[in-house]
Amino acid sequence: MHAVETPKRTKKPIYYGWYVCAATLFIGFVLIGARNSFGVFVVPMSDEFGWNRFTISVAAAVGVLVNGLSQPFFGQIFDRTGGRKMILTSLIILGAATAMLALTFHILFLAFVFGIVISMAQSGPAPSNTAALMARWFKRRRATAISINSSALSLGGMIMVPFSMFLLQATNWRVAWVGLGVIVLASLPLAFLFLRERPSERGLYPDGDPAPPEDNRGARDITGPLEAETWKDSFRTAPIWQMAGAYFVCGTTTFVMSVHFIPFALENRDVSPNTAATIFGYMMFLNIFGALGAGLLSDKIGGTKNWLALTYSLRGLAYLVLLAVDNLLGMWLFATMAGFSWVASPVLTSSLTADVYGTKALGTISGITFMFHQFGGFGAVLVAGLLFDITGSYELPFAVFGALLIPAALSSFSIKERKYSVRYQARVPTPAGGD
Amino acid sequence: MAAVASLFNFILAHQGDSADPELLHWIKERLDSIFGSGPWVVVGIMGFFILAIPVFVGIVYLMQSGRRAAAESAMNLDGTEQERIP
Repeated sequence: MHAVETPKRTKKPIYYGWYVCAATLFIGFVLIGARNSFGVFVVPMSDEFGWNRFTISVAAAVGVLVNGLSQPFFGQIFDRTGGRKMILTSLIILGAATAMLALTFHILFLAFVFGIVISMAQSGPAPSNTAALMARWFKRRRATAISINSSALSLGGMIMVPFSMFLLQATNWRVAWVGLGVIVLASLPLAFLFLRERPSERGLYPDGDPAPPEDNRGARDITGPLEAETWKDSFRTAPIWQMAGAYFVCGTTTFVMSVHFIPFALENRDVSPNTAATIFGYMMFLNIFGALGAGLLSDKIGGTKNWLALTYSLRGLAYLVLLAVDNLLGMWLFATMAGFSWVASPVLTSSLTADVYGTKALGTISGITFMFHQFGGFGAVLVAGLLFDITGSYELPFAVFGALLIPAALSSFSIKERKYSVRYQARVPTPAGGD
Repeated sequence: MAAVASLFNFILAHQGDSADPELLHWIKERLDSIFGSGPWVVVGIMGFFILAIPVFVGIVYLMQSGRRAAAESAMNLDGTEQERIP
């Protein structure tokens, strides 16, 4: 017998893209956490300066507008210069400005620092840009990476907000702002060490895949038929309008619940405040699993637009149950179904946008579609308030917005993914699905 | 008036989706019952875990340096396995 010499196998190292993903997750975590913590500071700051809720709302309103409107511009900077420098600069400004809020002495100072400086800086490492960065590093596992990145939205709120509350209780609001600023700055080393623009900078291919054989080099460079050089290219085609229209509805149906769910539970369903808060917290907790599940399923099974349509359908069903089942069980069922769909839609929309339009102008395109989402949310909250004024109930606005999810689901389902998505053009292995 | 009130509620809620006062109160009660300690203890524990995340990522990267070096040497021996982009 001859001894067969087997070559020594070494385990493959973790693909560098996952470190980029971990860095953007942590950046998103502190970014969203610091932003969401603003609510914690409303009462102590108002008490000290004698501001009413309206006054401090104006500062926050400026922030919402500046943040929403600046997203496409930061998206364009991202597309032109790459993400690394912009995100690092934004984080430095964000950390320093957050700490500077400790020096607040006048409402105009708060409006300027929080409403303009911080809100603009937040647009740099915004999820729309970090998702675009993920899209460069991943192709086959793009939705999974974006879903991990997006789970920062929920984790930041769930962990950083209670942290801010306890920090505030242990110290005072000035020290707490400094503490939050330090936490934001703590993301800098991770960002500095791991954020890179694209795999080729590390001599790698997307997903950490090996180089294609010499005679098949062109396969990896295949792009979709709608690959956009500039954001204008994308808005001349149907899929972006189909996705942006559905994303508009996504904004209406999530924001209206963020504002009106607890009042609805208290006034229309006679639920106690603690129970209402428990149900809302449960819904926010589930959205982490919804986001991760959507990303994994989309990558494993394929057919991203089908999952997107299913997400909107599930949310529509949740609205229906909320209105039809007039008791506590209906609220829990709503929270379960809506919770799973809450962050799944941004994950799938970002992934599908990258698959159809490529990554060259993705930051700008995502920034613009994000604006659609925000406008939907703004409009919905106003309309819900008006309808509540007229009818004295939230049932009509919820029914109207819930019904909008039907065209949103149809719009998503009708996207010709198999025709336009790069997954079905390039020979990137993806199981059957799609159209 | 409700529309205007809703707008400002929205703005605050948007700035802090999970920072609804009822929810914050509920979260704090649950955490108080779990930890049963002063706020500094909770700040210390949570702060430690938050700041441990980037440290953990850095440690994993360093621990992988051996594998990366091995993969690179394998690449040099067998150029077809993990060829790098020129």
